[in-house]
Amino acid sequence: MNCQQFQETLPYIIESGGGGDDESHLQTCLSCASLVRDLRYIAEQAKLLLPMHDPNPRVWSNIEQSLKREGLLPEGRMPPLGHITKNSTSQTETKSWTPLGWALALTAVIAFAVVLINYKPRQLPQVPLTAQNNAADPTQFNSDDQQLISQLSQQSPDAQGAYEASLRDVNAYIADAELAAKSDPGDTSAQALLQDAYEQKEMVYQMATARSLP
Amino acid sequence: MKLDTAPRALLLTAVTVYICLSAAHATDTRKETKIDIAAGGTVNIVSGGGSIALHSGSGHQLLVAYTLHSAKVEVDQNISANRQRVELITHALPGEKPTADEAKVDYDVTVPAGVSVNVSTTSASITADGVNAEIGLSSETGQITVHNIAKSHVRVRSMTAPVNLKDVTMSRVDIQSTGGTVQLSNVTGQRVSVGTTSGNIEYLGDCSGGGDYLLTTHSGAIDVTLPPTASVDLTARSTNGQVENAFPLQEKSHNSFVPHQGRSFAGTSNSGSSSVELQSFSGKIRVKKQ
Repeated sequence: MNCQQFQETLPYIIESGGGGDDESHLQTCLSCASLVRDLRYIAEQAKLLLPMHDPNPRVWSNIEQSLKREGLLPEGRMPPLGHITKNSTSQTETKSWTPLGWALALTAVIAFAVVLINYKPRQLPQVPLTAQNNAADPTQFNSDDQQLISQLSQQSPDAQGAYEASLRDVNAYIADAELAAKSDPGDTSAQALLQDAYEQKEMVYQMATARSLP
Repeated sequence: MKLDTAPRALLLTAVTVYICLSAAHATDTRKETKIDIAAGGTVNIVSGGGSIALHSGSGHQLLVAYTLHSAKVEVDQNISANRQRVELITHALPGEKPTADEAKVDYDVTVPAGVSVNVSTTSASITADGVNAEIGLSSETGQITVHNIAKSHVRVRSMTAPVNLKDVTMSRVDIQSTGGTVQLSNVTGQRVSVGTTSGNIEYLGDCSGGGDYLLTTHSGAIDVTLPPTASVDLTARSTNGQVENAFPLQEKSHNSFVPHQGRSFAGTSNSGSSSVELQSFSGKIRVKKQ
């Protein structure tokens, strides 16, 4: 499977996690792996935003009036955003829909589309790159890192900064070592660096775990 | 007797200072205990801030002295039935939330020969001097110092804590640190391994003992200073960093890699009895003569 074929199945991968071919491509293609990581992150963040409370109906009313003034919203085309309808039979108040949810979902879709449009598959360069030069920031925290930092922020806020800095450094180390090892699989020195990088990360996790024990 | 104003003021000040100091020290509680421990046993010490000093002692008793800096923390002693394992654990008392200063405990532990020691702290400094046993030391930010140890296994882990080893001979040494500087002076043995992410590594000594010396870093600098008598088979390689050599090495007839000017070099000195590997991703590597 090449990058183009892989990208055609992206929606399916984001939704269901993908299949065997997709996984094997992800293992070998850093660019696609980075793209999938970014898209999953966007999707996760969008989900987190959905349960937020709606703002005051006056906000929607003002937006509606502004849109009408600008001629972007014809009269009678749709009910006012965030409008609360009263059910005449049951006399209970129900929200007909969640406008902020729709707005956020729309934002997520737009962000998704922007990433797809701007995404250009590229071959890995022959010379090793540093993590700092890599387009997808390898120092960003994965879900495990985020969970660890979140736990530390609750239990030991003083230590949070030190752990964040260490994890960033170690993630950059792993990313650089992976690039070096992939650019020359026969290079034993690069393999040793990669192993050391993973051991460093393991150590940070072990220290955090030991700290969190009662 | 009538005192003049100036001497009286001085006396009053001295008394006030004395009272204040006494009050400050009144919160410190020093405790001492002797614990029988089986030969070949293990001591585990877990603490937050303060300091931990380990010394070597004779006999079969563990001598533990510690000073609590507030009444909000205590030290639990757990001893296994067969006395093979002793645990000293610092913890806050239920319902108490001590500040960093209040949570500090200063330990002074005398360890019998052959008893292994594991210490884990967050910010407490750790010093091991002359301990004649396997030691494992771990601290996030507290300085770790190990001196005068022979024929042992020393494991050190730090996050940003500086690590200093001096006169650790004929030992196996494993050090990992993400951001702390690691300084080794006269550290020798069958295997000396140091790995850091951004911390610098400094080695001063002759790498004797026919062992394997492996110093690895991502972005930290590696500085190795060898005496002319050093007998080493040395390789230095950096993926993106600079490599400099100012130590007289004989070129090897065969290398496992192709040396690149400024990125790697290899060579031997004297009979080349110890293997020395220096590796970095972007950190600078320098080898020089003592």
